[in-house]
Amino acid sequence: MNIAHKDVSEILVDCRSVWKIFGTRAAAAIEAVETRGLSKKDILKEFNCVVGVSDANLQVRRGEIFCIMGLSGSGKSTLIRLLNRLIEPSLGTVMVKGKDVASLDAAALRDMRARNIGMVFQSVALLPYRTVLENAAFGLEVRGVAKDERNKVARAALDKVGLSDWTERYPSELSGGMQQRVGLARALAADPEIILMDEPFSALDPLIRRQLQDEFRQLTKSLGKSAVFITHDLEEAIRIGDRIAIMKDGVIVQIGNAEEIVTKPADDYVADFVAGISRIHLVKAHSIMQPVAAYRGDINALPRAAPEADISALIELTMQSEHDAIAVVDNGAVIGVVTTRDLLRGVAA
Amino acid sequence: MDMSTLPDTFDSAIDDALSWISDNGEGLFDFIRAILEGTYDGVLWLLQLLPFYGIAAIAAVFGWRLVGLRFGIAAGVALVVCALMGLWGETMGTLALVVTATVLALAAGIPLGIAAGFLTTLDRILQPVLDLIQTLPPYIYLLPAIALMGFGPATALIATVIVAMPPAIRLTALGMRMTPREFIELGQASGLTGWQMFSKIRLPFALPSIMAGINQSLMMAFGMVVIAGIVGSGGLGETIYGSVRTLDIATSINAAIAIVILTMVLDRLTQSAGKGGKA
Repeated sequence: MNIAHKDVSEILVDCRSVWKIFGTRAAAAIEAVETRGLSKKDILKEFNCVVGVSDANLQVRRGEIFCIMGLSGSGKSTLIRLLNRLIEPSLGTVMVKGKDVASLDAAALRDMRARNIGMVFQSVALLPYRTVLENAAFGLEVRGVAKDERNKVARAALDKVGLSDWTERYPSELSGGMQQRVGLARALAADPEIILMDEPFSALDPLIRRQLQDEFRQLTKSLGKSAVFITHDLEEAIRIGDRIAIMKDGVIVQIGNAEEIVTKPADDYVADFVAGISRIHLVKAHSIMQPVAAYRGDINALPRAAPEADISALIELTMQSEHDAIAVVDNGAVIGVVTTRDLLRGVAA
Repeated sequence: MDMSTLPDTFDSAIDDALSWISDNGEGLFDFIRAILEGTYDGVLWLLQLLPFYGIAAIAAVFGWRLVGLRFGIAAGVALVVCALMGLWGETMGTLALVVTATVLALAAGIPLGIAAGFLTTLDRILQPVLDLIQTLPPYIYLLPAIALMGFGPATALIATVIVAMPPAIRLTALGMRMTPREFIELGQASGLTGWQMFSKIRLPFALPSIMAGINQSLMMAFGMVVIAGIVGSGGLGETIYGSVRTLDIATSINAAIAIVILTMVLDRLTQSAGKGGKA
């Protein structure tokens, strides 16, 4: 009971059975969903309405980076906009910090967006007639923070993203990657608990994208922020996310951490996606090991590894020893053995 | 009813209405006339505080800062030419008319344009009215104005304001509707109030379009003040009208040159000011 209570208090964003239906007859379609439980296809056929998000459930905890991965048209952009009510849900509730966002009046909603939920856009949306510093201070400016104070905070935020030398430039003088850093600094300057990232790095070239992914993850973790990160790139989701939700046609097909998604795909769609993903950093010793009894040699002679060691580390260990297996050790006790065959199966499966 | 008398009935109804308005609204129209002429006289007085080379020097400096050195020098020299042709008083008269009429047109047109940018109903009502204003021959507006205000600059101002207003309204409304969608979304996601959305997002994005509207209003005003020479507007328009009637071709050409100079200088200056505002 106690533990459950603690978990609830840690959940910053809570989506419960959220639907979004677009179209002129959306209201009737929703009624049909409620009373008859119609499917997406039936709704399109019967009401000529498009289902953007269908029965989405997800929880984002404090300090967590939650990725939503899906192709274009999967409803991920709609879903992220339901979280700060840029789009009104047709059905279901979205709770942010324990408050139902649908219940907020205009002023309370503005306050929540200004203080609790920041947003970074794929298009960056830096105001072209403002300097980098003025852009970064924008969120504080609209909250009425005095100029000296907001410039100080904005400078600190720009410093965090490595742009302290560019404060007086205009956005058009910056490269795409730098512009997106300003977008991130603008969101961070307002010091929200939750940052919504709407495909922020999709338009950048691969090298810069990787660099920003790592920086973003490191920065978010060190500041203790929570983030909801939208992407169409599974590798990006795996690199950045603590947990990943896979979306298809408005439905969340699977939620889990990277290893769960890659090793136990919920359906063929997810399996197709993860087929090309390298497992050597995702699959851990504990999920490929054999029981100790299955190993015939001398266990005590084997090199040792932790259950959380990934395949890449295990390969490294195997290369360094003349043995054909590694003992997995937890709390001083050998709990399993990973043989060379197990390693190959882990990489291939 | 006999169809042949219908046009006559219509005409006499219009005549009656106009004379009823001018009889009963005499006090009101005298008041409006006094305000307009007072404003015009005030602007003209300000322009004549400086000698011609002072104004030319100011134009040269602004031209240099806003457009470039070569344009600055050309603008200064061109204005001196106006004075050397003996038309300085008339040139300033025209400038006073244009400036007064444009400022009045913008004072009404920009707020109206902003409103039309937000309210589609107002926009739908305004569009045909603006179409009508812009398709009728501009001197049409002189007739009712002269009936109500009499001969003089007040009539010229009224007619010029009517002609100069449509571009300001249209381009302001257009600018208001042109805000890129992602910036509206940024504003919403940042928790902006309605006023902040207008002042910090929509207006800055609309500014280039509004500046183009100001420039276009100014150009329309220049066209109209020359025509308004017929109703005794003063300035170069009246000089041209007078010299055409006496077949004084030399003077009319000189006055035309002065108008071209004034128009080009103001056109380039306002265009560059518009681009400068974009940063």
